[in-house]
Amino acid sequence: MRAIPLKSIAALAAISLLTAGCGQGLLGGASDSDKQAGPIVLGMLIPQSGSEAAIGPYMSNAAQLAIDEINAKGGVLGRKLELKTADDACDAQSASAGANKLVTEGVAVSVGGYCSGATLPTLPIFGKAGIPMIIPAANSQELVDQKLKHVFLINGTGSQQAAAAQKWIAKQGGTRAVLMHDNTSYSKDIALRTKELLGAQAVAVEAVTPKESDYSANVTNVLSHKPDFVYWTGYFQEGGLIIRQLRQAGYKGSIMVGDGSVSPKLAEIAGASTAEGVYATMTQTPDTIQGASGWIDAYKKKFGSEPGPYSNQSYDAVRLAAEAITKAGGTDGAKVISALEAMDGFQMFSGPLKFTPEHTLASGGFQILVVKDGAFALQDPLT
Amino acid sequence: MTQLVWNGLFVGSFYALVALGYSMVYGIIKLLNFAHGDLYMLGAFVGFAILGAAGGVSPAMTLPVLLAVLVATMAGTGLAGVALERIAYRPLRHAPRLSLLITAVGASFALEYGMRAGAGADPRVYPVRLDGASFEVLGARVTLQQLVLIGLAVVLMAGLNLLVTRTREGRAMRAIALDPRTSRLMGIDVDAVISRTFFIGSALAGAAGVMAGAYYGKIDFLMGFLIGLKAFTAAVIGGIGNIPGTMLGGLLLGLLESFGTFWLGGEWRDVFAFGVLILFLTVRPTGLLGERVVERV
Repeated sequence: MRAIPLKSIAALAAISLLTAGCGQGLLGGASDSDKQAGPIVLGMLIPQSGSEAAIGPYMSNAAQLAIDEINAKGGVLGRKLELKTADDACDAQSASAGANKLVTEGVAVSVGGYCSGATLPTLPIFGKAGIPMIIPAANSQELVDQKLKHVFLINGTGSQQAAAAQKWIAKQGGTRAVLMHDNTSYSKDIALRTKELLGAQAVAVEAVTPKESDYSANVTNVLSHKPDFVYWTGYFQEGGLIIRQLRQAGYKGSIMVGDGSVSPKLAEIAGASTAEGVYATMTQTPDTIQGASGWIDAYKKKFGSEPGPYSNQSYDAVRLAAEAITKAGGTDGAKVISALEAMDGFQMFSGPLKFTPEHTLASGGFQILVVKDGAFALQDPLT
Repeated sequence: MTQLVWNGLFVGSFYALVALGYSMVYGIIKLLNFAHGDLYMLGAFVGFAILGAAGGVSPAMTLPVLLAVLVATMAGTGLAGVALERIAYRPLRHAPRLSLLITAVGASFALEYGMRAGAGADPRVYPVRLDGASFEVLGARVTLQQLVLIGLAVVLMAGLNLLVTRTREGRAMRAIALDPRTSRLMGIDVDAVISRTFFIGSALAGAAGVMAGAYYGKIDFLMGFLIGLKAFTAAVIGGIGNIPGTMLGGLLLGLLESFGTFWLGGEWRDVFAFGVLILFLTVRPTGLLGERVVERV
């Protein structure tokens, strides 16, 4: 766990001061009657500070892009959409504070959530306020294990990712797999599920402490099991270092990383030649989706940068929220939830949408990517 | 087994280098400088900026160039440390200990999030890497670069020890540590000596930052937090305020982590390392080489 109570509290104080300062805008004094006529607010909790801060803009930009497109076509039920973001810092306390802030700002639907560990404590906060959540990125099984009615995941789940990993390891003929995770709920979940699926082919599970630089002790441990396949399920910052240190220590077998590690930075940190041939389990990214080039261009034109991981899911989350509100005929939480449950065939990047009874995608859409010339490319769609 | 020892010593020498700054500052003004880890981060970024400004470096020149960058960075972070002391700590020197502690936490935040505002939240990757083929020594994989880094750390630490034990400056530092008021009466410019202490401690942290950047490759604005905590721990194990003790403490912490990972697995590493520390400190609260100080009235 991230045990930084003193610092987190101070950070919270700083953040809440900041947000209090700039929260006096459009909705500062919105009363209930304004709510009916004013814009429909979508809330988005994303990491804007902390270790995962790099991901935030990919998500909020894509959400903004969807909102602008919808508003250009007249909005939803004659009302404009508006995006409010809050920082979750990938940390439970910040996320709870951010969720409370969004609730008081009167959001109709939450379309954020990246770090599973930070998203988990926000579920009851949005739940109590009757706000449906469409979670674009966070995908730990724990998010849906509580069977909460208002929680919908549109990213593949941990168990689907583990299934994809197992499939690929078997296909590659891996017989001695070591699973490495960083002790966060998201990462550990995938590693343990993959281990279960692999059975005797998994020889060890190694946990590392995130945010460090030296993983040589862990690498020594991993190599003592003589693996032929190493699967890292954490984020790219540590992933890059681990790949590099594994190779430096003379490991020659296959390496695969989970979706949290799919970032151009992974190969940069590991060193392009070191990362060459590293596999990844990942849902569709803008680069691997057929026919998404027009969308990528629109994104680039608007924000002057490339879309990244979870841009497409965030974009879809907003579109899905708009569609559900339209179908429900208003922003009443219960009606929107029913509309989401009834959704069938809504076109998203991941294909036509239909939720399972536990509110996850019927198929995770995980693919295998590979690092080629320092960038992730599609290796096997696993269909 | 030798591999574990080597891993532990290598990480431990980074801890030791950063811990020295903690220990020196504490020894002299009894301040836990929580911003110290962030000076390590600052060092990594200063080195990154200098290397970026210098453009490409040919592989043959890597080590000399890095050495030059190291020296420049040490000067830079040293000055930053002096500024930090002047702005944040000196005005509070006679304030309650708690205010000073909170100021240190604040300074830590200011450095971290200032760096984030300036350089962005994305991790950066050093343009120069200390890569090299490894060779075996008694069953452990060792690279030449690791040896160079450890050598550098040892030289810096030995230099510091000489400075403190053999020079007038060092004697002044020790005098202030014993009793600042009497030192002033004896004609020591206390403020200047404290400034120089911050300079040296911060320069060492900056050096460790550059070395970590060049060796591991990845730097980010929060990289100083965890190592700051570890260094603090190392300083306490060794006997905070005691220089050889601090160095030993760093190495010991590195070894504990390395063996903890091996014996109990990565999940239990910190439990093991810090559990041993708690036990150790209950038996010997002053640390390895710390002296039993009689409470001054």
